[in-house]
Amino acid sequence: MSNLVYEAVNWNKPTSELAQIFWDQQWKQIWFPEEIAVSKDVKQWQSFEHQETYKKVFAGLTLLDTVQTNIGMNQIATYATDLQEKAVFTVFGAFEAIHAKSYSYIFTTLCTNAEIDELFEWVKKNEYLQYKANKIGDIYNAIEEGNPESLWKAMFSSVMLESFLFYSGFFYPLYLGGQGILRNSAEVISLILRDESIHGVAVGFFAQNLFKQFSKEKQDELKVWGYELLLDLYQNEMSYTDDVYAETGLSPDVKAYVRYNANKALMNVGFDAMFPEEEVNPIVMNGIRNEGSTYDFFSQKGSSYAKAKMAPITDDTFDFKNRI
Amino acid sequence: MKTFLKLNNDVLNRYNTTGLLELEKDREATRRYFLEYVNVRLRYFIDIEEKIRYLVEEGYYEKEFIELYDIEFIKHLYKKAYDYNFRFPSFMSASKFYDSYAMKSRDGEEILEKYEDRIVIIALYLAQGDTDLAERAVEAMMEAYQPATPTALNSGKKARGELVSCFKLSMDDSMNSIAENIGYCLELSRLGGGVGVNLTDLRPLGDPIKGILNRASGVIPVAKLLENSFSYSNQLGQRNGSGVVYLNIFHADIENFISSKKPNADDKIRLATLSTGIILPSIFFELMKRDKDIVLFSPYDIYKEYGKRMSEISITEMYYELLDNPKIRKIKRLNARKLYTDVKKAQFESGYPFEIFDDNVNEVHPLKNIGRVQMSNLCTEILQVQQKSIITDQDEPNEYGLDVSCNLGSIDIHEASKVADFGKLVDTAMRLLTNVSQMTHIKNVPSVAKANKMMHSVGLGVMNLHGHLVTQGIMYGSKESVDFIDGFMEALNYYSIKSSMEIAKERGETFYQFEKSEYANGNYFESYINKEESEYHPESIRALGNVPIITAAMWKELAEEVKEHGLFHSYRLAVAPTGSISYIRSCTASISPCTERVEVRDYADSRTIYPMPYLTNDNAHLYVEAYDVNAYDLIDLYAAAQKHVDQGISMTLYVTDAWTTEQLAKIYIYAWMRGIKSVYYVRQRLQTLEECVACQI
Repeated sequence: MSNLVYEAVNWNKPTSELAQIFWDQQWKQIWFPEEIAVSKDVKQWQSFEHQETYKKVFAGLTLLDTVQTNIGMNQIATYATDLQEKAVFTVFGAFEAIHAKSYSYIFTTLCTNAEIDELFEWVKKNEYLQYKANKIGDIYNAIEEGNPESLWKAMFSSVMLESFLFYSGFFYPLYLGGQGILRNSAEVISLILRDESIHGVAVGFFAQNLFKQFSKEKQDELKVWGYELLLDLYQNEMSYTDDVYAETGLSPDVKAYVRYNANKALMNVGFDAMFPEEEVNPIVMNGIRNEGSTYDFFSQKGSSYAKAKMAPITDDTFDFKNRI
Repeated sequence: MKTFLKLNNDVLNRYNTTGLLELEKDREATRRYFLEYVNVRLRYFIDIEEKIRYLVEEGYYEKEFIELYDIEFIKHLYKKAYDYNFRFPSFMSASKFYDSYAMKSRDGEEILEKYEDRIVIIALYLAQGDTDLAERAVEAMMEAYQPATPTALNSGKKARGELVSCFKLSMDDSMNSIAENIGYCLELSRLGGGVGVNLTDLRPLGDPIKGILNRASGVIPVAKLLENSFSYSNQLGQRNGSGVVYLNIFHADIENFISSKKPNADDKIRLATLSTGIILPSIFFELMKRDKDIVLFSPYDIYKEYGKRMSEISITEMYYELLDNPKIRKIKRLNARKLYTDVKKAQFESGYPFEIFDDNVNEVHPLKNIGRVQMSNLCTEILQVQQKSIITDQDEPNEYGLDVSCNLGSIDIHEASKVADFGKLVDTAMRLLTNVSQMTHIKNVPSVAKANKMMHSVGLGVMNLHGHLVTQGIMYGSKESVDFIDGFMEALNYYSIKSSMEIAKERGETFYQFEKSEYANGNYFESYINKEESEYHPESIRALGNVPIITAAMWKELAEEVKEHGLFHSYRLAVAPTGSISYIRSCTASISPCTERVEVRDYADSRTIYPMPYLTNDNAHLYVEAYDVNAYDLIDLYAAAQKHVDQGISMTLYVTDAWTTEQLAKIYIYAWMRGIKSVYYVRQRLQTLEECVACQI
């Protein structure tokens, strides 16, 4: 038996700035795919023109979330040194698992078993998809104990994945949902986005703290590495977009959206934006608002309810001196 | 992609990035919508005669009501409507009208009606041959009156749903009644109705059946049956049926009932699509204030012992009697504060349950000598007396009691302040609502048909309060706004009573048991007759425009007239949440504050961006968003309006996720203390990460 000294996580004393906030925010927005009535999309789906693109977009997203659950968050959680941050990453990982499962939920509702099997085969064969999974997976697997640089690289990649690479896929359901097409599947995506945006900000924030500890030379070196990685992924993403969105005429719009998010990803890790500002399709932009939009009681469940903050009712609760 | 959708979306996108409104984009979206979508689909008719002939012959319009009028008169009415030069003020209003309200060809390809055409048809249909009323109806609707969706949508159409769509049913503690009511729910849901069902009188889980203990399954399985009925019975697949179930907080099944809407509830008890509401007698708040336990009862015991159902007694009056009576089982004791905290938790997590403050409703109920109000409807604004039907075995006749159907309409506050004769506007609205009630016969639900025939209840409400306040430079929730709504609603109350009295006089008929009402004995008018003359803020008086301020002397005179002639309507006023209809008219909803200056409206079918009416870059500060309005100010405003409304007002509360359950409890307690009758949803805005981290990073 080994003779290590195990330390218990002590949430009574903050060891990491903001860990508690990210933790709370994530749990507040817990959701499950079964809460959304995707079956209401079935009728529209049957006459939907670009089924192939739609399915592939979701299959691609499933792969990315799988990588992020099984390797990304796990690896980062294993090697992160602060115990509270470790806990936050583990929780994020659990949400990634919900995301990966929610795509399956949509598939099960809309597609036949044969179609689903075919899609998962397509995932294994698509070179661009495999390229990004490998690229990021390798960096995750290269984290070493006691090597903060390798951990930072993994965090950087994680932010690239969550704030940048997902968005070529998110584009389509948001674009359609905003026009009243397959709205319930879009609702699932907007819930996923709500999570991914915290993950991007949180991991980016922790990565920035780590980055500050490096020497100036090291920082410059890592910056070059980071921009090179981003460019590499960007080239691949352009080809992936052409491939998946062929025949929809949407490629230019998707690409603009991908660049917009690449800039956001860079800002999350504290780097300067790289692409010039450009117009992004407003329907898609409105689809990523986090506030929870207005619903009437005949509509489907809104995305705006969350966990309650408990506090007991006391005598003061009945005191309206200042009011009456 | 449709360019008008892109333009419409751009309004919000620009507003979010620059903070400036570019309303010309919305106007351009509306213009393009007409060019690209409406005009190309609009069927062209040579003249009005041809249009009417075609639509009747092709079976789009019913011919019976058209035949009541001379064609020259019909032409005159069309001209009258078109002379208003109506233009849709926003993309939202235009798209909502053409998507959901205008008559289309059966294949959905052609648009057969414009806005004015719909108004004229509603007027002709509801006036039932009365040309004077038809003219007044066109004026009222082109200016300031909007019938509720079912009436606006279905009037005059040959293939149509019902004109009313709001129902309340009361279930009794027997299998016959449960089965019968489920049947009613299927029927009403098919007609497009939202149905409220009171479950308070059903025996709880574990109660005896035929004297054998632990046999009853309680209210939750019944609620599940109802939920399934509503989702099965929809309107031609267009939208799902909707329903709400109510339960008294002293009912032994209350804990499961409260948890039933939580997303993580056990599947066996989870209600996914059915809404829930709880009935809270004042004794509950009193016990909670003193930090006492409450005792849960079974309606089965109460009925056996007192011969009355749980909903038919006042728990507040009977509570200690029930405690002292050894024949009443004390099924469970719960700490009131803890239970109410659980209610608040459920509301944070799901928005449910709604709350009805039992004694606030019944203490001022004008028909209190006729019976108790036991529950509410799907939007918590309908509060009317009911009587239980006795559903017997199939070989005996049923004894039908009174249930509720309600037909609603709303007055646009802003436009109403500008009309020359406010009293006439209210009278026209009341007459149109009356005709809807007279034309409605829900034959498959005898208790509803019976009540409709005897009670003639209607629900006139208002909308566009926030919009109007903005045009007057008044801040929502301010003292001036409270004075304004106080004065406006008092005038609405006054003229609706006057109108109801006139109608009773003309027809020589009052509602059933008028003589037992508080109107007949004069109690209802006492506080009005004895009131001090109102000292409203000058700004509030200016905002009232042409709406008269009602004096004590006017009330005194009216009280006499009512005593002599009676009232035709058992219930007159109810303020609905007004969803779709306020969008068509470009109004803010009901008397609530706007939720966003530039609203994103997700209907089941599309996403539309809706800048609030009259919003400009200069008055944006007056459009304070609901989540930023002080909740106590909002309640004060609703309380001022509630004084003048015989039924209820659908009141939504707005909180952010920074609130605790205790803070939420506190505003509900405040609402109860201020005489508010019901609370509809509590809506929550999740603070986004950017908001909550921004101040710290």
